[in-house]
Amino acid sequence: MRINYFVAGGFVVLIFFVIIFVTAILPATTFKPKPSAAAIVYTEQELRGRNIYRREGCFYCHSMFTRYQDREYGEMVTAGDYVNETPHILGTARTGPDLSNIGNNRYATDWHRAHHSYPRKVKPGSIMPNYSFLSKQDMDDLVAFLQTLGRQRNQPEWVTAPQELRDEFDAVKSHVDVNSSAAANAGRGIYMQNCAGCHGVTGRGNGPVSITMIKKPANFTRPFYKNYGDAMWYYRVKEGVAGTRMPRWGQTLGKEQMLYLVAFLKTLPKDSQAAGEEITSFQQLDDPVALSKNYNLIKQLGEQSPYGTGRPE
Amino acid sequence: MGSMLAAILSDKPFSASRNFFISALFWLLIGTTVGLIASLQFTAPDALSGVAQLSFGRIRPVHINTILVGWLSMGYVSCYFYLLPVLTKRNGLWSEWLGNLTCAAWNVTLLLGVLAIANGNTEGREYAELALTLNVFGYELQLADWLVLVALLLLAFNCFMTVATGQEKKWYVSLWYMMGSLFWFPFVWIIGNRAFVQLDGLNDAIAGWFYGHNILGMWFTTGGVGIMYYLVPRFSGNPLYSHTLSMIGFWTIAMFYAPTGTHHILQSPVPEWLKAVAVIASVFLLVPVLTVLVNFFMTMKGKWGTVSDHIALRFAVAGGFGYLFTCMQGPFQATRFINWYLHFSQWVVGHAHMALLATFSFFVFACSYYMIPRILKRKMFSRELAIWHFWLSLLGWIIMMITLTIAGLVQAAGWHFAVPFDQWVIELVPYWLLRSFSGVLIVGGQILYAYNMYKTIFNGDECEPLPESKTGALYV
Repeated sequence: MRINYFVAGGFVVLIFFVIIFVTAILPATTFKPKPSAAAIVYTEQELRGRNIYRREGCFYCHSMFTRYQDREYGEMVTAGDYVNETPHILGTARTGPDLSNIGNNRYATDWHRAHHSYPRKVKPGSIMPNYSFLSKQDMDDLVAFLQTLGRQRNQPEWVTAPQELRDEFDAVKSHVDVNSSAAANAGRGIYMQNCAGCHGVTGRGNGPVSITMIKKPANFTRPFYKNYGDAMWYYRVKEGVAGTRMPRWGQTLGKEQMLYLVAFLKTLPKDSQAAGEEITSFQQLDDPVALSKNYNLIKQLGEQSPYGTGRPE
Repeated sequence: MGSMLAAILSDKPFSASRNFFISALFWLLIGTTVGLIASLQFTAPDALSGVAQLSFGRIRPVHINTILVGWLSMGYVSCYFYLLPVLTKRNGLWSEWLGNLTCAAWNVTLLLGVLAIANGNTEGREYAELALTLNVFGYELQLADWLVLVALLLLAFNCFMTVATGQEKKWYVSLWYMMGSLFWFPFVWIIGNRAFVQLDGLNDAIAGWFYGHNILGMWFTTGGVGIMYYLVPRFSGNPLYSHTLSMIGFWTIAMFYAPTGTHHILQSPVPEWLKAVAVIASVFLLVPVLTVLVNFFMTMKGKWGTVSDHIALRFAVAGGFGYLFTCMQGPFQATRFINWYLHFSQWVVGHAHMALLATFSFFVFACSYYMIPRILKRKMFSRELAIWHFWLSLLGWIIMMITLTIAGLVQAAGWHFAVPFDQWVIELVPYWLLRSFSGVLIVGGQILYAYNMYKTIFNGDECEPLPESKTGALYV
């Protein structure tokens, strides 16, 4: 009787070790991707920053890999990008945005510093913890690390439409020249009739109806929307935005009408161009406390964000 | 002081079980309170701003480690230390003294480890944060990894010796589960903490999630199911429905749970064959889960009505249904198409709470209401408090589950339609507020539980002879 337990127990041990071999040891010995061009080689300061990123638990809310279905976060990652990443900081939740391509001076170093010290002043609606408790050295190291992310990747388009919509746009775009002022003029009327109620006559997201909405309509003058390609505009107009009050105009408007609309939307001005140029003076304001009192600078910084304030102005 | 030391290193039968349970209660109160504080930061991110130790990135690992290593693991060990001698017809463990020493060492390690995490000394790997990193001659020694390993080995040694020297030669299925968990968990712990090797990049993530999933699959699940295999026949008064089914469940859980870890990083660039193994094994998990649950629920046949006055059984049944829901949801969201949509969202947080709160914590609650009166030969201090504990915990997790699931779906839509994230965050605020409310219910329930147990353990009247009841209904 007793011997049966030893046989069975031995069988459990065997199964367990086979599984450990297959799922833990086999990958570690056979999966050796070659370093890709995007693999980051860290300097000493950047490595310190990476350790602060781990210490403060940033990876609990920010992932560090882009996926096929992501349309906001730049180029797809490959296995070879991660050869220097030990311990890994891939992350398993996105309570905040993915950070694979957040660096590379997409935002100014000072913007990062202000954003970590006063997250909600720089980006209203954010729920990021306030990291003003970091020492100046720690903050500099952390921001140096963040600026490495995506440094080695090509990033032609920050926001892209899904493939099927891009295909459809390519098929219909010959009907209307979306870069012509004639098309934009045609689109203006369609915009005023259908869109201005929410998005406002000037496209700043402050139409009369916007006051009733929890999620405010998009402000097209924000730099974020200047990243939109023609196909992305077409996709947004046609399919609407799930989870918001933005309707699927593809159900009411014809294809040419949507293309006229795209042509008009592209002509809307970029509001914070001037503000963005003034930001360099911020270099002198190293002290985050002084920064917090300088409301205008903070406001300009906020407008540099791709997401913006989301409020009618 | 001398008497306290004597109590901590006592040699009395079942004193180790009692001490482990008291420690587990302490960590339960700390862990749930810390979780509540963490949940408040989703809706009031500036409420505690500027305090490094309370920022979300540090308080979250504190919550996880106090609950996993403190409350649940110590609660499980307490149940093992009661059930193993009972199942092998021994009066107490092989060495109660060693059990008590393990308990003290475990508490000290965890306390230091958690304080270290709050102050920024962390391994920085999910579920494996306990580190106590020391710089010894230029080599980074992660002390807590080794201390916990020693504690686990002492624990396993003690339990194996208890079974080996027991009178009962026929092993009931609970023993299989407990011995299995005690055997393989030290290995999982070593791999998870990467004690021997530094792995590159994605391999580090693969090993990390092998551990991250198996601390649930090969420790909490197998241990909890083992406890339930004892409790359900005992509470219902029926014999176990099928021993064959229970054995099938054991062998398949050992086979299908271990390889599933990679489903946590299903969309990252790790090898495709490993993802396939993980997904297939995840779906096959339905086999052990359903055999276990069929066995439990068929054993309950004809006795479902007794949940009305048997509080411990009520916890066990609620935990069984929690197990059903968790393990239906798990394989569902591990498949590629579902994972494609739901990964990264609050849905997964809801799933984790369902497994650890609604299932495994409820198993420990059930076992404690049965075990503590028997160890101490006392009736529970209050039946009303136990009922309040049940309803507050149950309502708490139901509200948490529903709100986090809805929040996860809204959030997933936000990611997929490229809605700027500060826009969907506004939408989630009501759900996060409700989640904090559910946290208040849960913490309140645990305070009542701890008070009830405190009164029973320290102030209760010995009740000799104990009114005999086979199913234990009368003790609560």
